Amino acid sequence: MTKEPDKNTNNGAPFTVAGGMPRPRAFSSLNINLADKSLAPGLPKEGNKEVVAAAKSAVKDFHEMPKSSEWQTDERTRQLREQVKFSEDSRVALMNMLEDMEDLRRRAEEEKEKTLAIITNFADGLILFDANDRFMLANSLIEAAFGVTREEIRGLIGKKIAAFQLINGFRPLIDLIGPVITEVSRKELYISENEIYEVSSLEVQSGRGKVGTLIIAHDISREKIVERMKTEFVSIAAHQLRTPISAIKWTLRMILDGDLGPITEDQRDFLDKTYKSNERMINLINDLLNVTRIEEGRHLYNLVLVNLEETIETLVANYGQILEQKKLTLDFEKPAAKLAPVKIDVEKMKLVIANLIENAIKYTPAGGNIRVTISQKAEGLEVAVKDSGMGIMKDQQSRIFTKYFRGANAIKMETEGTGLGLFITKNIVETHGGKVWFASEEGKGTTFFFTVPLAAH
Amino acid sequence: MAGKKILLIEDEELIIRLLGRKLASIGYDVSLAMDGEEGLKKMKENKPDLILLDIIMPRKGGFDVMEAMKKDPQLTGVPVIIISNSGQPLELDKAKRLGAVDWLVKTEFDPKEVVEKIKKYIG
Repeated sequence: MTKEPDKNTNNGAPFTVAGGMPRPRAFSSLNINLADKSLAPGLPKEGNKEVVAAAKSAVKDFHEMPKSSEWQTDERTRQLREQVKFSEDSRVALMNMLEDMEDLRRRAEEEKEKTLAIITNFADGLILFDANDRFMLANSLIEAAFGVTREEIRGLIGKKIAAFQLINGFRPLIDLIGPVITEVSRKELYISENEIYEVSSLEVQSGRGKVGTLIIAHDISREKIVERMKTEFVSIAAHQLRTPISAIKWTLRMILDGDLGPITEDQRDFLDKTYKSNERMINLINDLLNVTRIEEGRHLYNLVLVNLEETIETLVANYGQILEQKKLTLDFEKPAAKLAPVKIDVEKMKLVIANLIENAIKYTPAGGNIRVTISQKAEGLEVAVKDSGMGIMKDQQSRIFTKYFRGANAIKMETEGTGLGLFITKNIVETHGGKVWFASEEGKGTTFFFTVPLAAH
Repeated sequence: MAGKKILLIEDEELIIRLLGRKLASIGYDVSLAMDGEEGLKKMKENKPDLILLDIIMPRKGGFDVMEAMKKDPQLTGVPVIIISNSGQPLELDKAKRLGAVDWLVKTEFDPKEVVEKIKKYIG
């Protein structure tokens, strides 16, 4: 309260009110009986100067009194009015605030509903966990995809991810993301032939850091069906191509071998070249078939436990003739001690090694050397195929594993080729859980490396 | 090897003629069938020592032929070599389960190599 009135009101000094308020008018109807002793009980009966002064002073006080109480009442009223007004203002302000709050709450609610509607009707399955990996919400697509009910999901709220294992439908998902969410990117989740999802986990960040994790299950069933149809088509087409081509091969071979009667040298020369053209065609079709087989995926993998060094050894022995023709040497350094066995699809892995060796043979000029080594590393067996060939051009190195890609210098040296060999190699190695990479210097040579994880005990 | 009986079941005419001629020239006793049904009939008639069998054929395919052979005690012991245009692991597994002793992809082999394979099983 800033309007504090002057409290010194008994000394006859004029009333001053901060803020220059006018002095309240005297209250005229106040009558006081001066003879009433009760008003001045201490007064002496005999009159003298002191008594008179005291009496005057008392009278003065009495005159002042009504003025003071009149003002006090007035002031109090004013203060009360002010307080009422203040309260009223506060009430209005509070009401306004409440209204604003309500508005904000409503807006927040609307936003929440909007977000929920988006999540619920999202074309992908979504599951949200908080920063402590506790389950918060999942949308209806999740129910449909994993065959779980709303009640089961509701029962999970607040539970850690591991609890998902308890619900049958979620098991494949937990197998994929793990009981503690790890970074997962576009991992395929195979539920049935016609129901395949691509699962990713995403950390949800705010300004304060991690606030949760979002699991996204993207339905790729349709793409997979189309892919399978395409694969089947290509596979059938390739089979159809092989039938006549093997008939041509066999006919030419028998004529060349003299099984169908004698031929002249001139005829032999032509037939021999025709036979070779046909072989190239066979190779192209084989590559095409291999691509479709690999894209077909998991079903084709027949995993057995083998010693990889033995597989390499038998394979390396196949190249005697061509090495002689091209005046190249091929060494395989068999490790002194037996290496740990690996679980692989032998036919596919042979294709990997053969691809790398055959590339080395193709792109190494006469007099060159190819070395194959195998060693045991922490992450598995590492195979290296090193050649003294023409190398891969620096600006093309990033594309070397791309489907149908062939290096410009490779095309110059060897016109035949599909650009599928390394693409297939990479697919096979990665399906086995390994890695493939290379080091190359143009004009000096290339070394291709790949790893095969050791068999789990 | 002379006189050993080989039944060749294959629907591709050129292949059957070429291979039939090659095998006969070596001295095998070759009989030919153009589909699975004919093949089954012929193997019951003349009890071959070895069968060369294609997979994709009209009327009755190679896998069906092998299944029928498994049910017939007279035919179960006869070695079967598959000659096919395909050779995907799934097919190889199935053939092995049904009792085939070997599998040749036609584009990978020529008649001479087929003969070498045959010699491995029946001399």
